[in-house]
Amino acid sequence: MNVIVHRVAEFLKRFPPFSFLSKEVLEKVAGSVEIRYLEKGETLFRQGQAAEAHFYILKEGAIILTESIQNQEEIRDQCDEGDVFGVLALLGKRPYLLTAEVQENSLLYAIPVAIFEEVLEENSRVALYFAAGFASGQVVVRQDLSESQKARGAFKIKSRDHSLLIFSDQSEIKFSEKVLICSPDDTIQKAAALMSEKHVSSIVVCQTDMKPLGIITDKDLRNKVVSKGIPLDTVASKIMSTPILTRRKDAAFSDLYLTMIKHRLHHLVLTEDGTDKSPVCGIISDHDVLLSMGNSPAVLIHGLMNTLDVKEMRLICDQAEQMLRYYLENELNMDFVASVMTEVNDIIIKQALRIAENSLVKEDEVLRKIPFCFLSLGSEGREEQLLRTDQDNALVYEDVPEAIAEDAHAYFLKLGTAMVEVLLACGFAPCPGDIMASNPKWVQPLSEWKSYFSEWIIRPTEEAILSSTIFFDFRPVAGNLGLGETLSLHIYEEIQKKKVFLNFLANNALMNPPPLGFFKDFVVEKSGEHKNEFDIKSRAMMPLADLARLLVLSHGVIGVNNTFKRFDRLVALEPNYEALFKQASKAYEILMRTRALEGLKNQSNGRFIQPENLGKLERQLLKNTFSPISELQNIVKVRFQLDYFPS
Amino acid sequence: MSWWDLFGKHVDKADFVKAFLLQNQKPIPAIRSLDQLEFTVFDTETTGLSIKEDYVLSFGGVKIRNAAIQIETAIELYPTSPKSGKKTASIHGLVQRENQIQIRDFANQSLEYFCNSILVAHHIGFDTEMMQKACRPFGLEKLPNPMIDTMTMAIRLELGPHADRSQINPSDFGLDSLCKRYQIPTEDRHTAAGDAFLTAQLFLKFLKIAQGKGITNFGQLTRKGF
Repeated sequence: MNVIVHRVAEFLKRFPPFSFLSKEVLEKVAGSVEIRYLEKGETLFRQGQAAEAHFYILKEGAIILTESIQNQEEIRDQCDEGDVFGVLALLGKRPYLLTAEVQENSLLYAIPVAIFEEVLEENSRVALYFAAGFASGQVVVRQDLSESQKARGAFKIKSRDHSLLIFSDQSEIKFSEKVLICSPDDTIQKAAALMSEKHVSSIVVCQTDMKPLGIITDKDLRNKVVSKGIPLDTVASKIMSTPILTRRKDAAFSDLYLTMIKHRLHHLVLTEDGTDKSPVCGIISDHDVLLSMGNSPAVLIHGLMNTLDVKEMRLICDQAEQMLRYYLENELNMDFVASVMTEVNDIIIKQALRIAENSLVKEDEVLRKIPFCFLSLGSEGREEQLLRTDQDNALVYEDVPEAIAEDAHAYFLKLGTAMVEVLLACGFAPCPGDIMASNPKWVQPLSEWKSYFSEWIIRPTEEAILSSTIFFDFRPVAGNLGLGETLSLHIYEEIQKKKVFLNFLANNALMNPPPLGFFKDFVVEKSGEHKNEFDIKSRAMMPLADLARLLVLSHGVIGVNNTFKRFDRLVALEPNYEALFKQASKAYEILMRTRALEGLKNQSNGRFIQPENLGKLERQLLKNTFSPISELQNIVKVRFQLDYFPS
Repeated sequence: MSWWDLFGKHVDKADFVKAFLLQNQKPIPAIRSLDQLEFTVFDTETTGLSIKEDYVLSFGGVKIRNAAIQIETAIELYPTSPKSGKKTASIHGLVQRENQIQIRDFANQSLEYFCNSILVAHHIGFDTEMMQKACRPFGLEKLPNPMIDTMTMAIRLELGPHADRSQINPSDFGLDSLCKRYQIPTEDRHTAAGDAFLTAQLFLKFLKIAQGKGITNFGQLTRKGF
């Protein structure tokens, strides 16, 4: 064993639950630890903050866990060497219930939840340890006392009663008192029709006396009906989820919340006496919980606008990502989801600009007064960036007299670099091709930008076309937006003058062959790091984005950047292809959703998908998104006469 | 011909050296915050203390990313050596290892590991000289990475940037003394990886202290006189 990993393992194995692990598993866990050092007065995590991908064991120092109740801080627990905390992240990937404040300078070992989840499944002693809530700050509800006692007996841990904390909160939570119900003998089609009429994602199956029998959700319809192909006149009781978990309507928020976390429920039914033997009187959903935890776009955006602290901004970004996951899992309209995330990203850029400008107040006032504009490019420019994948951006400023040209370039390079650094600190990955406002080449005055674009259009070399696909989707985000618009106009004028440029662009749009002809399986990468994975970005999304860009450009349409909005626009322009464009628009939405969910699941950029990890239905769905690609490519081929085009 | 005969002569750059130098072309912006920097904390054990005569016996390192020591990056490398290392074997307890690698693989793997990170070590001057010596036969003249010496950093943090070096007792700033002063238990001393791990913990604490003194970005961290 590596000396360093060995040292970490030696420490871990002194404390439960690590003491229950075999040597091999312990080595694996130790090998994935991150060591952090925090000083007295710092906060490790805050109540309500999105759970991190880690939980913690304290190596040295002291940490207190507090709960804020009606603006009063109450100490819930104190941790010292060997104490494990922040475990709720392990159980439900939900926001923290407590705040962890550093009381003495502390060295912490952070253990990735992903690694430990495997351990939980394999090692029942460890699972029992956590279920019983021995980890500090993990709240155990009353009902679980028996299990807790059992565990205590099993481990004979000296009583230090820090685990059986019971919430005394009165957190406000809004839930729906009007519950949509149906009878167990109704058909699933009727149940679905009721849900769709009321725009809700669940229906409670009740007896005539309103006692709940089970619940049917969107997910059940997807997993048990559509994918299995069962007849629509099947009765509701056949597919409902049972037994149904219920709680009292006036139960404490924490009780409701924990019940949902522990059982991974999206919906919790409330009844008069808290059992399924009394009438239904309400239902609480994930969404209600999320709202009461402050995870609404309005709250996040408000929070972002009121801070110039980068660490704070990063936390809000993490929270936004959690909200995104909820949106995606619940199949919210992609237009809405993309708009919300774009709004969040744009505000981060605007705040980054304020931070950057604040750091440059000592610079020459003449330079600081020059109008400029920060441009987002690529997927961010198209308002399609859901995850914090690569940042692509650039900076344009007004032409200046020759005498100060050099100073102006140096100043804006500093400004752009400062903004890029803020974005990096907020978790946006750097662009591998270095297309960022910190690269001197992409920080230029307007006239220079105009000649860049003219050059690309007049001399469409392979490299120029590649640049076009990134730069043509630019969107002015911060600063003087008029400059960006001037640049847009220039581009469209140039294209009008040299229409053959579109043929080059069309040729490029056909470069990525459609992933058809894989009826048996997906087309996967043949070699390299991502062997046997499917590259959803370059094989499916890029071809669609390229086709949409080409077609709107050929119609001279300005100002529609979003790929699915471009297709929607094309429906109006070419009604004879309405069905195809609508299909393409929908396909792109599905691809965006799939990629983002994959990215959230694997903490990656979601670009590479392992087909074997997809469900049958997901695979089918994804496969269907490919058919409009080849159809569109055929149209483009004919329209731009590419058969006669020297490629 | 042994590899050290090539010392001083012009040598064509091996492909892995070219790739390494390419990665280091772009400077780190001075305003990048400490949390965003990647550090490689490393240590070498050698046959002795003479840069001219002695050779690297083992190399240990671990990275700091997002202001946290990433245990998964822990590495130990044992190059084959033209000298048996009898002298230091008694101190370090190093014996012939089974997992030794050829000097070329050693140079390749260690440079790949360094990549474009900031190098950190205790008495970094000596360790980098030894690493450069090992890589020189493959065309590397000098490690281009930014470097931080934890001893110099300790002096600056404790005594200020203008401390009079002649008044300092070097043993007060040795790794043992510093670990004691900053409450870092010292098991595993005198293995390269063990020392690298101690240095990494020390450096993690230094970074926090530095932040308290207003050193928040790369430019300030590597300012002259540090």
